[in-house]
Amino acid sequence: MNPAGEPAPAPEYSEDGVDLSLIRWMLSLTPAERLAFLQRRINDILTIRELNAEK
Amino acid sequence: MLKSDLSATLGALVKAGVEFVLVGGLAAVLDGAPVQTYDLDIVHSRAADNIVRLLGVLESLDAVFRIQPERRLRPTVSHLGGPGHLNLITRLGPLDVLGTIGRGLSYDDLLPHSVEMDIGGALIRVLDLETLIAIKEELGGEKDRAVLPILRRTLAEKKAHSSH
Repeated sequence: MNPAGEPAPAPEYSEDGVDLSLIRWMLSLTPAERLAFLQRRINDILTIRELNAEK
Repeated sequence: MLKSDLSATLGALVKAGVEFVLVGGLAAVLDGAPVQTYDLDIVHSRAADNIVRLLGVLESLDAVFRIQPERRLRPTVSHLGGPGHLNLITRLGPLDVLGTIGRGLSYDDLLPHSVEMDIGGALIRVLDLETLIAIKEELGGEKDRAVLPILRRTLAEKKAHSSH
C-alpha cells in the first residue's frame, strides 16, 4: 500500500515521445511471453471488431 | 469467425522444416519493441527443396492471395522462387511471404543478422533489431518512419541493459 499522500511517479518518456516504461516492460518478458501477449491483444481486437460488426 | 494464430503458423513452418527469417512487426515485438502488428512476415530460403516444403505448409493452411480473396488464387512454386512479396491470407491469419526485403536482401543475406528465439516449443530465426532499423531507415516510407523512434529506443534500452 502506498504511504498516504505519496504522489504518483512521473511517467518516463524519451524526448521524441516514446514511453520508456513500456519498452522496459516488454524487455522484461521472454520472446514467448511477448508473442503470447501480442496474440491475446490481436484476439481481443478481433473479438471486439466482430461484436461491433454484428450491431 | 475471424482468426489469428501466430504461434500455430510459425509452428507449422518449423515442423515442416521450412527455412525462414521472421521480419517486420512481429520480429520487432519479439525483439522487445512495444509495437502493434497483425500480420506475420517471413523471408524464406528460395532453395528448391525449401520452396517445396513451404508450399506444402501454405497448402495445409489454405493460403490464398489477400487481394481478391474471392478468386482463391494460390501461391505456386514459381511465385515462391521470385524476389517479390506474396501477401496471403491463411486459415490462421495473414501471412506475408517475402522473397527479399529492403534493397533486395534475401534469406541468405539476412540469416547472419538474425537471432534464434524460443517461442514456446519451437525455435525460429528472428531478424535482429539493428538490421530491422537499418532496413526501415533505408526504405524511408511513412509507415517505416512512424515506428522508428520506438525501435531505436528499444535498441538503446537493450544495449543499456546488457552493458550493466
